Amino acid sequence: MRRPLVTLAVTSVFFVPLYVALVNVVKPSALIPGAGAIALPIPPTLDNLSAVLTDPTNLFWASLANSVIVTTLSVIALTLLSAMLAHYLARTAGRWGRLITVLLLCGLMIPPQVILVPITQVLRAFGLMTTVQGLVLFNVGYYIPFGVFVFTGFLKGIPADLEEAAAIDGAGRGQAFWRIVFPLLRPATASVLIFLSVWIWNDFLSPLIILGPGQGTTVTTGIYRSLGQYSFDYGGVFALMFLSTLPVLIFYLALQKQFVKGLTGGATKG
Amino acid sequence: MRVVYRRAWYFLSFGAPGLLIYVCFVLVPILLSVGYSMTNYSLLRPGWTWVGLRNYELLLTDQAFLTSLRVTTILTVMVLVAPNLLGLAIAVLLDRRGWFYNAMRSVYFTPMVLSSVVVSVIWTRVLDDEGPLNQALRFLGVADPPGWLSDPDYALFSLGGIVSWQMLGFCVVVYLAGLQGVPNELAEAASIDGAGPWTRFRRITWPLLAPALTVNTVVLLITTFKIFDHVKVITNGGPGTGTTATVAFTIMQEGFVENHQGYASAMAVVMLVIIAVASVVALRVLQRREVQL
Amino acid sequence: MHKTLAAGLAALLALTACSVNEAAAPSSPAPAGAKEVTFLLFESPNLNAAYWDAQIKRATDAVPGITVKKVVAPAAGSRDEFAKQLIASGQFPDVHIGLQDILGFAPNLYAWTPEDLKDFECATCGATGGKVVQLPTNTQTHSNVYYNKGLFEKAGITAPPKTYAELLDAAAKLKAKGITPFVTGGGPDAFASTLAWTGVLTTDVYGKNPDWMRQRREGKVTFSDPDFKAATQKFADLAAKGYIDKKDLSRDYGATQTAFLEGKGAMYPMGSWFASPGAGDNPENKIEIGRFNWPGEADSAKLAAFTGGGLTVSAAAKDLESAKKFALAFQLDKANLDASVKADALFPAIKGYTPPSMGPVFTESYKAWSDAKTAGAIVPSFGWEAGDDAMLPGMKEKWWSSAQDLVSGKKNVDDVLSYLDDEWDKSS
Repeated sequence: MRRPLVTLAVTSVFFVPLYVALVNVVKPSALIPGAGAIALPIPPTLDNLSAVLTDPTNLFWASLANSVIVTTLSVIALTLLSAMLAHYLARTAGRWGRLITVLLLCGLMIPPQVILVPITQVLRAFGLMTTVQGLVLFNVGYYIPFGVFVFTGFLKGIPADLEEAAAIDGAGRGQAFWRIVFPLLRPATASVLIFLSVWIWNDFLSPLIILGPGQGTTVTTGIYRSLGQYSFDYGGVFALMFLSTLPVLIFYLALQKQFVKGLTGGATKG
Repeated sequence: MRVVYRRAWYFLSFGAPGLLIYVCFVLVPILLSVGYSMTNYSLLRPGWTWVGLRNYELLLTDQAFLTSLRVTTILTVMVLVAPNLLGLAIAVLLDRRGWFYNAMRSVYFTPMVLSSVVVSVIWTRVLDDEGPLNQALRFLGVADPPGWLSDPDYALFSLGGIVSWQMLGFCVVVYLAGLQGVPNELAEAASIDGAGPWTRFRRITWPLLAPALTVNTVVLLITTFKIFDHVKVITNGGPGTGTTATVAFTIMQEGFVENHQGYASAMAVVMLVIIAVASVVALRVLQRREVQL
Repeated sequence: MHKTLAAGLAALLALTACSVNEAAAPSSPAPAGAKEVTFLLFESPNLNAAYWDAQIKRATDAVPGITVKKVVAPAAGSRDEFAKQLIASGQFPDVHIGLQDILGFAPNLYAWTPEDLKDFECATCGATGGKVVQLPTNTQTHSNVYYNKGLFEKAGITAPPKTYAELLDAAAKLKAKGITPFVTGGGPDAFASTLAWTGVLTTDVYGKNPDWMRQRREGKVTFSDPDFKAATQKFADLAAKGYIDKKDLSRDYGATQTAFLEGKGAMYPMGSWFASPGAGDNPENKIEIGRFNWPGEADSAKLAAFTGGGLTVSAAAKDLESAKKFALAFQLDKANLDASVKADALFPAIKGYTPPSMGPVFTESYKAWSDAKTAGAIVPSFGWEAGDDAMLPGMKEKWWSSAQDLVSGKKNVDDVLSYLDDEWDKSS
C-alpha cells in the first residue's frame, strides 16, 4: 500500500511550520534567527516558558482571564442567537428572508478594523465603551452572520414536519425548537462553537480598543505587543504563542469529531 | 389575524434579538462609514465638511488604491485555487479509518486554531533568506534560492502561500465531511459496472461534493479579501511601494497613517460593494451548479 | 435548557466587571485624593516594564499627589496608530511618549510655553506652526556608520573612510573578499532600509541646503531637482553594485542588528540608539565596533541629528496641570535621564546635563555629536524630522517604501522621485 507513505510524506511537508512553532519554544532566542529556526533544541530549555509565566507584570495570566471571559460569553450568546435567527430564516421563505440574508452576508465581508471607529462611536452612544458587555455585543453582531450561515445550511436538512408535529401536541414553537431541533443541530453547534471560539480568541484589535487601554488586554494582544519593533526575544515570542494557543487547541481537539460533520452536515445530507 | 400575530411573535422571539444586535453594532457602523466617505473627516482634526462624491472620484485615479485592488485580486485567486485543489486531494488521501489517518488529519486542522499573527511569525522564520526553506533548496542544489519575502517578484506569492497553508485545513475538513456523505454502495455499484477510479470520482464523488465546494469557495473568498494581519506583521505592504498592500491594509494606512478617515471610508465602501457582488455571484453560480448536478 | 444557559450567562456577565478591573490595577497604589494621570508608553527589550515603572516612580516622587496609570501600546512600531485609534474612540491618554506624527497629532496636544521649556537646550525643536507640543528632550543622530573593525582589517582597509570615494573604495574591497559591505533591514520595519539614503541626503542635500524641507513645502524645490536626484542616484548605485544586498529587504530590525553583530556584514548605517549597552556596547559582542560619519564628496564633517521625541500632553487631559507637572518632572529628573542614556543610548538635550560614563561605542557616538555641534555641522535628519520640519503625514512611509523600490531595482531613480513629488502634491 502506497497510501500511508504518500500521506506521511505530504503531511510531513505541511507539518514543517508547525514543527518550527513547537521547537523554538524550547530553544534559546539567540539560536532562532536564520538557519537556526529548524535546528533541534539541544539542549532544550524551559527558560522561555517560565519567563512568560513568571513575568512580573503578570501579562499572560491577566490577559488569559480576559480572553476566557470574553470568548466564553460571546460564543454562548452567539450560538443561541444565531441558531434562532437561522431557524427563522430557514423557515421564512420569500423576499423578506432573502433581504435579511443578504444584509448578513455584507457583515461577513467587512474587515472589522475598517469599521472600528464608527463601532466605538455607536458603543459610546450606548454607554458600552470599555465594558465587557460592549465587547461581547460587538462580537455577537460581527460573527452572527457566520453562525447563521452554518446553521441555516444544516436546518434546511431537518424537515419542518418534526416541529409542526410537536407544536400540534401543544408545545410552543420555542419549546419545540429547544427540545427537538436544537439537539439535532449538535454537529453544526460544534463547528460554530469551535470556529467562533478560535476567531474571537484570536482577535486583538477590537478587544484592545473596545475594552479600552486601561482595562487589561487579551492573550493575542500580548503576542502582538511582544512582537514590537525592537524585539529580539524570539524565544519569548514563541513561548507566548504556544501558551496562548494551547487553550483553543485543547478545546478544538475535544470537539474535533463533532464539528467535522457540522460544516456540511445539513448540505450533504450525510 | 392569529397567523399574523404568530408570525410577528416568531420574528420577535427568534429573528429579532440577533438581528437587532447585528444592526446596531455592524450595520449602523457600516452606514456611518458610508456617511464619512462623503466627508473630509480626519481623526485628528475637529470638524469636517461634506465633499459629496469627490472621494469616490479621486479613487478612480488613485494608483495606491488600484494597486491594492490588483494585489488583493491576485491573492484571492491564489487562495481560491490552491487550498481548494490541495484540500480536495488531501481529503481523498485521508478518507480512511484508523488512528494513523486520524493523527494526520489533526496536523492539517491545527493551523485553523492559530491566529494570523502567530502564523505570520512562524512563516517569517521559515521564509527567512537563510531559513529552513532556502536551506533545503541549497541542499537540493539550488545555488541562489529566491528571497521569498524580499524580492518584489515573489513576495505576493509567498503571502498567498502562507494564507493557503493556513486555510488548507478548513478545506480538508469540509471535503472530508463531504466525502463521508458519499454512500459506499454507489461507488461499489459503479465499480461492478466496470468504472475505473477516475471515472468513479468524476461521475459520483465530485458531483456529491458540490455543496462542499460552495462552502469552501465562499469562505475562502471572504477571508482572503479581508487579509490584513499577515501583511502588517510580515511585509508591512512591501518590499517597496504597494507590492503586498491589500485593500484592507491600504484602508488602514490611509485612515490611521495619513489621517484621511473620510477617504479611507470611501475605499471601504468600494471594497464592500466588490466583495458583496463577488460572493453573491459565486454563491448563485455554485448553488445553481449544485441543483443541476 | 436555554433558561439555565441564560442564567449562567447573566452570572458570568456579573462576574466580568470585577475580574477585568482587577487585571487593570494601577501601577502604583492610589492614596486618597490623589490625581490620576494616564500615560501612554511602549515596551521594548531595552525599555521594559521595570524600566518604565522606575521612571514613573522617580517622577511621581518629585511631584507628590499624582498617581500614574500606564497604557501600553500593543506594539512599539504602531504606537502612532494606536494613539489615533484611542483619539477616535475618545480614550486618548493624558501623557504620551515618543509620538511620531506630531504634525497630525498637534491639534489634540497642549502647546508648551517658553517658561515650561526653559530647561531644554533647543526650545524650538520640532515646532508645529510655531508651537512646541512635544518636549524636545533627546537628541539622536542618524548619519552614523558603525563598522566591524575585524572585517575592515580582513579587507585591507586601514582607516575609516573620510570621503565618499573612500567609502566606495572600502565597499569594493569588502565585496571582493566576499563580505557584504552594508547591513540593512526591512520587512515589517521598513525604516531599516533607509539609513544609507539618509546618510547621502545629509551630506549632499541638507549639507548644502539645511532649509530644503521648508522650501519643499513652499514648492521652491522638488524631489526631482538635480541635487536630490544625484544623492538618490548614489543610494541606488550602492544597491546596483551589490553593496546593499536586496535580500536584506525582508529582514526585520531585530534580525538586522543581530546580523551585524554576528559579522554578516561590515558596515551598519544606523541611528545613535545602536550605541546602547544592549546593542553596540553589549559586553557579549564578539566583534569590535568603530564608527564614522557618513562621508560627503570632500569631507565627513556633517552629521544628521534630530532633537525631540519626548513627552506630549493631551490638550483635553482631565487634569491638565497635573499632567504637565508630571511630564516635566519625568523629563527633567537627572536619574531618569541617566537611565534613558543607559537603556536606549539617548543624548539628553537638557541644559547643563552630562551623561554618565558609558561604553566605547556610545562615547564615540556622543563625541561625534558634540564635535559636530561645536563645528556648527549639524543638519536635520532626513526622514526623522518632526512638526514643521517633517514631511507631510504619510510621506515618510512612502519614502521608506521608495527606498525599498530603489534597492530591489523595482523602480529607477526618476520614477521614484516623480512618485514622491506626486504624492507630496496629493497630500498637501
